[in-house]
Amino acid sequence: MKKAKLSVSTAIIVSCSAILTGASLFFPWWGMRFVAPQYPEGLDIIVYPNKLKGNIDIINGLNHYIGMKPFSEESFPELSYLPYIIGALAIFLLVVAWLRDKRLLVALVVVFAIGGLLGLYDLHRWLVDFGTNLSDDAPIKIKPFVPPVLGENRIANFVTNSYFSTGAYMIGAAFFLLILPLWKERKR
Amino acid sequence: MKKKWISAISGLAVGVLASAVFFGDFSPKQPTSTASAKTNAEKVYVPFGKKDEYYLFASGGHSGQLFVYGVPSLRRIRTVPVFSLDSATGYGWDEHSKKMLGGYTWGDLHHPAFSETNGEYDGKYLFATDVANSRAAVLDLKTFTVKDIISVPNTSGPHCAAFVTENTEYLFLPTRFAVPLGNKYESLDDYSTKYRGVMSAVTFDEKAQKLHIAYQVALPPWSYDLSDAGKKISKDWAVVTTYNTEEATTNLEINASKEDRDFIVLFNWKELEKMVKEGKYDIVDGQKVIFPEKQKGGIYLVPVAKSPHGVDVTPDGKRFIASGKLAPLLTVFSFEKAFKAIENKDFAGERNGIPILRYESVMEREVNPENALGPLHTQFDDKGMAYTTMFISSEVVKWDPNTGEVLDRVPVQYSPGHSVAAEGDTVSPDGKYLVSLNKLAKDSYLSVGPSHPESMQLIDISGKMEVIQSAPVDPEPHYGQMIKADKIKTINVYPKDESNPDAVYNQKDARIVRKGNEVHVYGIAMRSKFIFDAKAKRPDVIEVNEGDKVFVHLTNIDRDEDITHGFAINRYNLNIEVQPGQTNTVEFVADKAGTYPIYCTNFCSALHQEMTGYLLVKPKQ
Ligand SMILES: [Cu+2]
Repeated sequence: MKKAKLSVSTAIIVSCSAILTGASLFFPWWGMRFVAPQYPEGLDIIVYPNKLKGNIDIINGLNHYIGMKPFSEESFPELSYLPYIIGALAIFLLVVAWLRDKRLLVALVVVFAIGGLLGLYDLHRWLVDFGTNLSDDAPIKIKPFVPPVLGENRIANFVTNSYFSTGAYMIGAAFFLLILPLWKERKR
Repeated sequence: MKKKWISAISGLAVGVLASAVFFGDFSPKQPTSTASAKTNAEKVYVPFGKKDEYYLFASGGHSGQLFVYGVPSLRRIRTVPVFSLDSATGYGWDEHSKKMLGGYTWGDLHHPAFSETNGEYDGKYLFATDVANSRAAVLDLKTFTVKDIISVPNTSGPHCAAFVTENTEYLFLPTRFAVPLGNKYESLDDYSTKYRGVMSAVTFDEKAQKLHIAYQVALPPWSYDLSDAGKKISKDWAVVTTYNTEEATTNLEINASKEDRDFIVLFNWKELEKMVKEGKYDIVDGQKVIFPEKQKGGIYLVPVAKSPHGVDVTPDGKRFIASGKLAPLLTVFSFEKAFKAIENKDFAGERNGIPILRYESVMEREVNPENALGPLHTQFDDKGMAYTTMFISSEVVKWDPNTGEVLDRVPVQYSPGHSVAAEGDTVSPDGKYLVSLNKLAKDSYLSVGPSHPESMQLIDISGKMEVIQSAPVDPEPHYGQMIKADKIKTINVYPKDESNPDAVYNQKDARIVRKGNEVHVYGIAMRSKFIFDAKAKRPDVIEVNEGDKVFVHLTNIDRDEDITHGFAINRYNLNIEVQPGQTNTVEFVADKAGTYPIYCTNFCSALHQEMTGYLLVKPKQ
């Protein structure tokens, strides 16, 4: 059986996708912004594939009032291996572009999609964990809650806004760049 | 093939477009409003979300404090304790401030002065002097807190200070009262021989954040009133006004006002610096003291109409202007003429071993605005025009130092002492605003009994002078400094200092360590609890024995702007504060047995009332 070979233009696009995927490691992927009357400038949790940024200490300090566990980079084992997975994906994409192997590309697209969905599920799982396992000793009792992965929520005096950030958009664009040539070359 | 390239590029373009949609800022631009034809109310109204254009630092006089205002709103933003105790900030109770105050409970804060670079305010530090207890202080403008205070020997009442040279090489402290060297006992009959008006040259070590007396000058036993450092061509020089050159020792009101002339002391600090380097000084009370009658050069006297108050150097550094106070006269002197007279040794004799320059050869012109009485102090605008406060005729007079022509005048309520213009004593004043620091408010505000606060009036000097705002101010603004707000760079949170053995940044590390009869508490404050001993059954309790010496080192681990905690112990008469991220120490002897609640004094959170603990002092057996 003759292998379906990807066109040169597709190989270039796949290479671009690989670069975007690799570069996304250096940008934040997801964030949550907390705005309250006392914090009009907002407090931030900013999640990179390998670290947390933002006002983590202040948010932890405030969260203890509602009995939420404090979180840190150590709370999330994902931060230690996620960069390797993404890095590997970027390298595989480059290999595919080099080999111009269509079947491999399709396989990677499937892996990419499953990985993305798993990532979203993982994020949701953590949000459930932190929002629902509230200590009974909390000075302020509130109903357990699950902040959405995307969009607005209200907890006490805070309005939170969850959003995808630069890295996630880069990944989205990278995925889009993989789908595009596959769709274009569907008849071959 | 070409087609493929096009599709590759178009694919990329779609990606770029997609990201632009996500990241691009397409919010509409805010329309900018024009500032024309504003009413006075609009000129001074600063709505929420906007900030004032200038900081005004007003001396707090015998409150020992410094008042920070915003201009043009004239809203009081902060009171900074400098020479006096202040329970609101725990100033004078925590170890650092207690040591700096050195047992004194009050001070008389006179003329504040910013640190300068090339004759411009650099917004880094502010210096101030204490007339009451002869001290000098430096504030760090990153935190608006005092970093160091020194006590100045051989001198009494540095009213005439502080003034700073063009690159903050020195901060000079001439004195108001003449006293014997070493503050020894000497009969007033020996005033002229045994008393001196010692001026101190102080340096500031920015790295160590310490003030240091470099040398002193044993000027004659006169009173030194106000001073200014030269600028540009006169940058190595400084001028100081004197009164009581009569050397009267009683009833100065009459006896110090007899002669028609007093002097301006004109000195070259570079030359004095050189003398000190060459060892031309005597050691008195641990200080290197230059005696002008022994070490000739560098110091000259310029005769001036009697009992002048202010002497101010024009922004171009070419002239200095003396305000007559008792003589209704402003005298404009020329530095260039003075330099020439010194070069030609054109002296009219000596006084106390110091050469006197001829009035006629230094004076450029006398300015006598009609019916203006009691000129005290002069500030400048961006065009070099002078603004002089008239204490007795209660007005500000604008005039041209180049011609002596009076340009404008505006009444103020009442009796202005100093005034302060926007960066008005730098090499490049801003114009725009002048604040008249009035000694009397009288009927300006709602009555509060027989005595009233002082008053500050904001004058728009961009066109014809007009008073556009008025604000009461506590005793007593002697002088101020007005600086463009963006020059001051404050910090929001104290940075972590892992090398500080007293700091605790992790609540789990909070602990109490006993060493004999000393108890060292390494605790934290956070919303809304104290943790003194993380492992104890009750982490917010300090238990000691009667007579123990207790050291409480407290770190505020809320690294969040404006979340300040206090620490007070009932009936133990002490209260300190810890600003966000700060570590502070309070020491006391637990000399009263019993049970004493501890609480946070600075409202910090919804559960602030719950932020408490106990000090338990076990009685001696
Ligand atoms: Cu508190």
